Amino acid sequence: MKRKIALAAALATTLLAAACGSDSGSSGTPNANASVDGKGKTLKVWLMVDAQSGWKNVVDQANQRFTQATGAQVQVDYQQWGDHLAKVDATLAGSDVPDVMELGNTEMPKYVFNGAFHELDKSQYDNSANWLTGLSAPCELEGKTYCVPYYAGARVLIYNTDLFSKAGLKPPTTYDEVVAAAKTLKEKNTGSKFSAFYAPGKYVYAGLAWVKGSGGEIAKKDGDKWVGQLNQPASQEGLTKWADLVKNYSVGDKTKDEQDQDPIFAQGQTGMMYGSSWELGAVQEQPKDPNNPESPKVKTKVNGKVAATAMPGIPSFLGGSNLGVTAKAANPELAAQWIKIFTDTQSQEALIAKGALPNATNLLDKAAAVEGNKASAEAAKNSWFVPMAPKWAEVESANVIQEMLTSIATGKATVADATKKADDQINTILNS
Amino acid sequence: MAAVAPTVPVRRRRRQRESDTVTVGRSKAGTVLANTAGILFAVVMAFPVYWVLNTAFKPSPEILQFDPTLVPHSPTLDNFKSAFNAPYFQQDLLNSIIITLCAVAGAIVIGFLAALAIARFKFYGRKAIILVILGVQMVPLVALLIPLFLMMQGFGLTKSLAGVIIVYIVLILPYTVWTLRGFIYGIPRELDEAALIDGCTRAQVFWRIILPLTGPGLVATSVYGFIQAWNEFIIINTFNDQAQQNLMAWLLQNQTQRGTFWGPLMAGSILTAIPVVIFFLIIQRNIATGLTAGAVKG
Amino acid sequence: MSAVDSRSAPARPTPPGPPAPPAHKRRKRRSSTSGGGTPYWLAVPALVMLIGLLGYPMIRMVVLSFQNMRLRELFQGLTPPWVGLDNYTKVLTDDVFWSVVLRTVVFTAVSVVLTVVLGLAVALLMRRVAPGVRIAMIIAMMFVWAMPQLVAAQIFRWLVDANFGVINYMLTQLGFDFENHSWFADPKQGWVVITALVVWAGIPFIAITLNAGLTQVPKELIEAATVDGASPWQALRNITLPILKQLIVIVTTLSVIWNFGLFTQPWVIRDGKPEAEYQTLATYAYSVAFKNNNYSLGSAISVITVLLLLFVMVFYIRQMFKIGDVD
Repeated sequence: MKRKIALAAALATTLLAAACGSDSGSSGTPNANASVDGKGKTLKVWLMVDAQSGWKNVVDQANQRFTQATGAQVQVDYQQWGDHLAKVDATLAGSDVPDVMELGNTEMPKYVFNGAFHELDKSQYDNSANWLTGLSAPCELEGKTYCVPYYAGARVLIYNTDLFSKAGLKPPTTYDEVVAAAKTLKEKNTGSKFSAFYAPGKYVYAGLAWVKGSGGEIAKKDGDKWVGQLNQPASQEGLTKWADLVKNYSVGDKTKDEQDQDPIFAQGQTGMMYGSSWELGAVQEQPKDPNNPESPKVKTKVNGKVAATAMPGIPSFLGGSNLGVTAKAANPELAAQWIKIFTDTQSQEALIAKGALPNATNLLDKAAAVEGNKASAEAAKNSWFVPMAPKWAEVESANVIQEMLTSIATGKATVADATKKADDQINTILNS
Repeated sequence: MAAVAPTVPVRRRRRQRESDTVTVGRSKAGTVLANTAGILFAVVMAFPVYWVLNTAFKPSPEILQFDPTLVPHSPTLDNFKSAFNAPYFQQDLLNSIIITLCAVAGAIVIGFLAALAIARFKFYGRKAIILVILGVQMVPLVALLIPLFLMMQGFGLTKSLAGVIIVYIVLILPYTVWTLRGFIYGIPRELDEAALIDGCTRAQVFWRIILPLTGPGLVATSVYGFIQAWNEFIIINTFNDQAQQNLMAWLLQNQTQRGTFWGPLMAGSILTAIPVVIFFLIIQRNIATGLTAGAVKG
Repeated sequence: MSAVDSRSAPARPTPPGPPAPPAHKRRKRRSSTSGGGTPYWLAVPALVMLIGLLGYPMIRMVVLSFQNMRLRELFQGLTPPWVGLDNYTKVLTDDVFWSVVLRTVVFTAVSVVLTVVLGLAVALLMRRVAPGVRIAMIIAMMFVWAMPQLVAAQIFRWLVDANFGVINYMLTQLGFDFENHSWFADPKQGWVVITALVVWAGIPFIAITLNAGLTQVPKELIEAATVDGASPWQALRNITLPILKQLIVIVTTLSVIWNFGLFTQPWVIRDGKPEAEYQTLATYAYSVAFKNNNYSLGSAISVITVLLLLFVMVFYIRQMFKIGDVD
């Protein structure tokens, strides 16, 4: 009998030790510099499709370097943007969670706040002292870092050089010049489908950029509570200017967002538009096979007739993505190492070559050297970010800004009413 | 096969022929009008389908132009090639076929057995079962998504085709049971009893008599199940990774942040619809017969 | 599951009331119906699957509606705090919720009436036209029926696109100024598009089902009535419709249940982000649960949706009991 008890005790202890021993990651900060033997292990990585279609070589190179360094394999699963958060939520709730996950920078705060990611040691990652605030701020909570910036995007003014020269216009350097150019273009081009400045009604990061351009704010923290600022005079002024462009110089569906901007611009009947840096290329040529980014490119009607310049008077929103080690990751240290490799200077330079913006200010000049990226690299230096509220992502998914903008654009509500309603909704959501 | 009050012969099993239509009291003008209306109807109904075909054969630049063309000016098979060669398309096509066939087969087998029980026996709890089967159809799937996902993950059935198949069977089951129940109910008990008297076991009665006679019903419910399983995308998108998606989920991927890839989307849609159309053509004769056998007094 | 049901299912071929004279019942032997344990064995697989797979999630859904579950509880597996009827109070006193209910009810009523009436009209038309035309109609309807909901919604979205859509183009060619017209700026027009989509997709099923039902109408009856001087309208009202009544009731009830749970169409047509005026009960529950990460509130909405639907189902079940179908 004694032997049986001893055996049972030994068994229990072993099991207990094994159980506790395997619980390596959840308590500590995964060390990206540790030398981990990953042989036989597979790291699970969730990236968004942009990498698959835009810079797959960067992913492949990073994977190769990682496998060489650790011996572990990498399995990358690409996610679609549409409704992906529902899948993210369900997955994070379960037991089979990817080790590395990419999320948009506006989505990150919600997950960081709710404990979905491991704390990381900022100093272990390249260029961390110079990270773009728009990317790094979502990662910080109470002085700790929970994710690593991946890449950025900024918006610029894209214009049709042909139409401009025919109208005798030079690229605008102030906001008033933009409006004047739009007016001239509208007078000189009377086609029913002509837009001097194509501005779709649901374009969130355009509308909010105009708010910022007039000195307005989106929301401010007043003590403990968040207070929406869209109803303030400065914000309203910005939105009025934006609405002016939409109503007077833009032809098209006022309820659309910016997804169709490029095909519309490519028809050659648009003077200007406000777009992300990669759109400069997208309006001039498209891959013959949209599902295969490597397929030969087909030139559009406006090929060679397009240029980009910084949007005067309107600071750009800094878009982009971050990468985190999930709290339930099976291989947190391997994950941290992979992220380190994927975001180091070497990878960033490869990323820049593909037209994306890097995650740190000291690399922005290199990005400016890439054909067509000068304007956006400049824009990134003066960019802004959404309010750092944990629930900001819910404001996004509740369509608050979208509905505000479309009601203004379609004339259903005045700027004052629409912003008041939006502020109320923001207050409710951010403070709930 | 019951005798009914009107003295007209039963027409249930005859295929519809021209002589079945009423000929008395029809004017020529009325017929012309009717024919015109019929053709107009067919054209309007088919127009969106035509537009899918039209768009699928146009190259991208022609699709995305302000003045749409009613017929492709430079028809091309590029969109089909693009769809077919797109990442995971062929895998997803295979997945769709496997999942749908398994789900439909499973639902029919299990459903048939349950329908037999309900239609042929009186037992304690029968009414409750019927109510459960009816009630379950009303619950919105989205509400169950996360608990269902967590449960299936606990069983290790996510990231696999098997988990999705099981869920689809459960989705198709209530309707299948209910419909088959109706069919089996319409088969007269005298046949059972005659066979039992002749020495058949109950199982033989089911296998040899009821099953063949339920044929049209099985066909009708398999149509329903096929379409349900083929069209579903919410569950499979949540449960599985890229490699285990189905064609519907693949179609969704053509809608990206950078606009919709209309060409491959339309071409892919056609490729997605073809198996359904083939299935329909195979069983179309049985649809009408099977649908209303016994539905109407007669 | 109404959220993903397509309209493409065939009708339930429920037989009419007991046609046999009562003597038949007296002759029934106990052994042919009670069967001992056999029915249980036969029904067990189905029950196990239904209750096993759906039971837990459904109970969870109801329980969730009485708790307050947010993202943190979801990720960390914590037990959400109990809040009793708070969620229900919140939902039932929310104007937005009631506007969604009203919209869903109105849409369901309008679309079902349109689909059934048009479906019946088409079925009658099919009986009247030349065989060649009938085949053309059937082929057109087959293709529509075979088209998946997702694809149908996408193509409608493309047809009415403000910049590239062919509907605007054709209308402009016909002389109306529809250039760059947005069909979704005004929700009324947007719902016209969505209703057209749902009705268009639903007609084939109804028309083919009712057409099959019409073959059961003895033609001699109609001919006799016509000879006696009845107009086609009277023949329809007094002979055809009563015979078809059960079938019409069945397809109508099915359509109501499916349309009440409308999700895919408004979701896809508004690109995954339906505005407030385009929300139906199903999309609203999904938005609240997944976009606002308020799973409890979403569950409460779903429970209320089920209760509302039960209301309709009660009617259906009573109909079934009335015609003696379920004894």
